[in-house]
Parts: sequence; C-alpha cells; structure tokens
Amino acid sequence: MADTSSLLARFRPLLFLAALLLFWEIGVPLLGIPGYVLPLPSAIATRFMETASIQLQGLAVTGMTTLVGLALALVFGVLLALAVIYVPVLRSLVMPLLAAFNSIPKIAVAPLFVIWFGLGVESKIILAFLLALFPVFVNSLTGLGEIEADVIDLSTLAGGSRWRIFTKVRLMNAVPYITDALKVAFPLALVGSIVGEFIGGNSGIGHLILFGQFNMDTPLVFAALVSITVFTTLGIGAVSLFERMALTWRPSQRRR
Amino acid sequence: MSASLIVENLSKTFGSTLAIDQASFSVPENSFVSIVGPSGCGKSTLLRIAAGLVRASSGRINLRGQEVTGPIRDVGMVFQAPVLLPWRTTLDNILFVAEMGGLRAADYEGRARELMALAGLSGFEESRPFELSGGMQQRAAICRAMLLKPSLILMDEPFGALDVITRERMGFALQTLWEESRNTVLFVTHSITEAVLLSDIVVVMSPRPGRIHDIVEIDLPRSRTTATLRDPRFVAFAARVREGIEAGETEY
Repeated sequence: MADTSSLLARFRPLLFLAALLLFWEIGVPLLGIPGYVLPLPSAIATRFMETASIQLQGLAVTGMTTLVGLALALVFGVLLALAVIYVPVLRSLVMPLLAAFNSIPKIAVAPLFVIWFGLGVESKIILAFLLALFPVFVNSLTGLGEIEADVIDLSTLAGGSRWRIFTKVRLMNAVPYITDALKVAFPLALVGSIVGEFIGGNSGIGHLILFGQFNMDTPLVFAALVSITVFTTLGIGAVSLFERMALTWRPSQRRR
Repeated sequence: MSASLIVENLSKTFGSTLAIDQASFSVPENSFVSIVGPSGCGKSTLLRIAAGLVRASSGRINLRGQEVTGPIRDVGMVFQAPVLLPWRTTLDNILFVAEMGGLRAADYEGRARELMALAGLSGFEESRPFELSGGMQQRAAICRAMLLKPSLILMDEPFGALDVITRERMGFALQTLWEESRNTVLFVTHSITEAVLLSDIVVVMSPRPGRIHDIVEIDLPRSRTTATLRDPRFVAFAARVREGIEAGETEY
C-alpha cells in the first residue's frame, strides 16, 4: 500500500497538470474564446508535431547561445569573485561598479549590442552572458569567500599553500553555491538569448515566436514556448541531478 | 626534560586593553600542559600566539629553539568546534592535514585508521561529519591533530561545547590517544578537574589582565582513571589550582 501512495505522491504534479490541460481543452471552447487568442492544448500539440524539425533547429541555435553565454558567465563570474577575494583593493573598486552595472536593465541596452556585435550569434551570447553573470558572481563570492576563520587557520597550520586551500577548501565550499546560482542563471541566460533574437536575427526560438506572432499563428507561439520550457526543465534538471549525485553531504540532499 | 615550547615575558594588548600581562612558562618535550582560568583571562589568545596565528605585543615564544614569528607548520590544532569539512568523510577529514602539508594522503591512511580505532571511531571511516555525534566529531578532530605526529598540539577548549557526561569520557579518550603518541600538548580549558586529570603541568591564569598566578606540577601516576578523581592528592592539586584562580580574582 505504501508503494502505491508514494507512487501517487510522485505523479501528483503530473496528474494535476493533466487535469489542468483537460480543463483547458474542455473549458475554453465553452467560454467561447477563439483559437487565435488561446489555442487548445490539442491544437498546440498538433502544431508542435508539424513544426518539430523547425522547433529543433530553433532550439539548437537558442540552446547554443544560452549555454555558451552561461558557460562564459560561469568562468568569468568565478574569476571575478576570486579577483575580489584575493585582491582586497579590487573589492572597493569593482563592487560599487558592479552594483551600478547590475541595476542597468540589460534588456534595455540590448539594441546597443546588436549595433556593436551584429545580428549574428555574438550579440545573443553576450546578452545571455551578461544576464547570467551577476548571480554566478554573487554566489561565487559567498561560496569562495565565506570560509570559517578556524578552517583557514587549520589549513595554514597544516602547511596549506594558497593554492591548496583554494582547491581543497574554497572551491569545494563554493560548489553548492555555484550550482544554486546556475539554476537561477540558466533561465536568465535563456531570456538574454531570446530577447537578442527578438531584436535582430533570423534564427532561434525567439525568431520562431516572432514569426508566429506575425502570422497570427498562436499555436506556433505556444508550441515554441513548450520547446523552451522543455529545454529549461532539462537544463535545471541536469543541475539538480548533479547536486543529488555529488552533493550528498548537503542538508537538503541528506537521506534520513 | 628539555623544553619544547618556551613562552617568555609575553604581553598582548588589544587597543588600550591589556589582555595578557608578562606571561612566562615552558612546556617540556612530550608533556601535557594545561592553561586553566576563567573566560577572559587571555588563555585562548595565548594559544593563538603560540601557534603564530596572532602576534604578541612584546615578549618571545620559542618552539624547539626556533623563534615563532608566523604561523608554525609542525603543529596540530584542535578548536572548540570540530571544524570538519562537511563534504569529506571522517577518514578524509583526518587525512586533510596531510593533504594540506603536500603529503600523500595514502601514506597516512594506516595511521589515521589506527588513531580512529583508539578514539572509538572504527566503522565510521566513510561517514560524513553530520552523521557523527558532537563527541565523535571532536574525537575525529583530535585524531586529525595527531595524524602527522607534530612537535606540538594546541587545544583550545576542545570539550567546551560538549555536555558534562560526554566531556568526562572525552577526557579519558584524549588520555588514551595521548599515551599512545606522547605528543607535546598545550591544552586550554576552564575546567579545573579536566586540567588536573589530564596534565603534567597546570598553568593557572586570572583575568583582566591575563596573568599567570601559579604553575602546578601534577605528579599523579598515569594512566589516570575515575578512581584518580577520589585520590586525596588529586583533590589537593585541584584545591591549589582553585586557590590560584581565586587569588587572582580578589587581587583588585
């Protein structure tokens, strides 16, 4: 019996989603909402299947710019945090600048990036990178920097060099902070990519959404949304899977 | 017995506050020395200065003939908290100091396992710190401090965060480990019983400013047991330490 109830608990979100979709499928026609305003789930699914290869092509472009932007944000976010930790002067120089930079809505300056970097993938990657950078940087700063004084003393007295303390203490301590940051930064990088595609360019999911809007093909817009939702879910799922496999010592991952 | 650690006329001021006033004592090679005193007497600061983690305002510290000017390398440290890394297993936590020292951890695994067995931690080699009780975590921290057979082990109120019953057991566990290794130990505590039971020499300090009031040699036979606690000579030593602390407090 316990097995069936735990199985039920596992699939409860899916069942709820199915119920919502059913309600949508049956309820929307009853309310008289036309299909070009809110298409039915069945219409979206049909359009999704019809455009599967285009969706996949779009996703390949958008996914590439998102992941490259995210990877750059990971590298530079961690490096920037390290610079601020190891060179105290930089903290007073860089931190106010970064705070000011972060308060600029990056989306608003996106057209500028198109002027600077063109209509190709570069402007999308840079936008994705800039949106993802800040959460990675802030979390890296905490994870790499906030080590108990006793741990540093212990390591120093044992003969630990800066490098060894970095690899065996700071970096290890930072891993869960960075994976947390990735879960936030991933959708942000995706926003960067898609906004970049809205502003200029002729490929990617963002372009597909604009194309759907232009032709009043609402099911296509929704189908594109399904594509990126699946993509984001898989991405964040991969990070969560890593956490469950590698970070078994974290309070949230402990099995009691 | 040659002295391992010599503290000479050591003073420390924080701003305008005199924390330690002209402290002098020595720790003989392979002996167990306690500094006992109430909180605020500067005993933890003294320990940090001895480790080279904090600089003295005046006076000198010598470890095996070498003046201490910065963090010393050949030293084991036990803090009030276990300070175990949560992502490492207990065994890997003990081997941590070997890795930090640039040594091959595998070469010390045998010794780490022996120490764990002596500390009653057999079977917990692969456990993470959060799976251990507070007392077990602290025993692992003591094993870690002893792993590389350092010329000096510093302990800063290592049992301060434990309950009284666990604390007494930990004292005897520490004695077992120490008798196996005979490291030179400088142990800071505010428990008179603990100090007298474990030590060869007890340095008695009083607060504001931290001054040494008495240095008591405890020549009770080892290994000491719970029976030692009822030995009249033990009781007399404990009374003398208590007098030293009280004398320091009524002076002003």
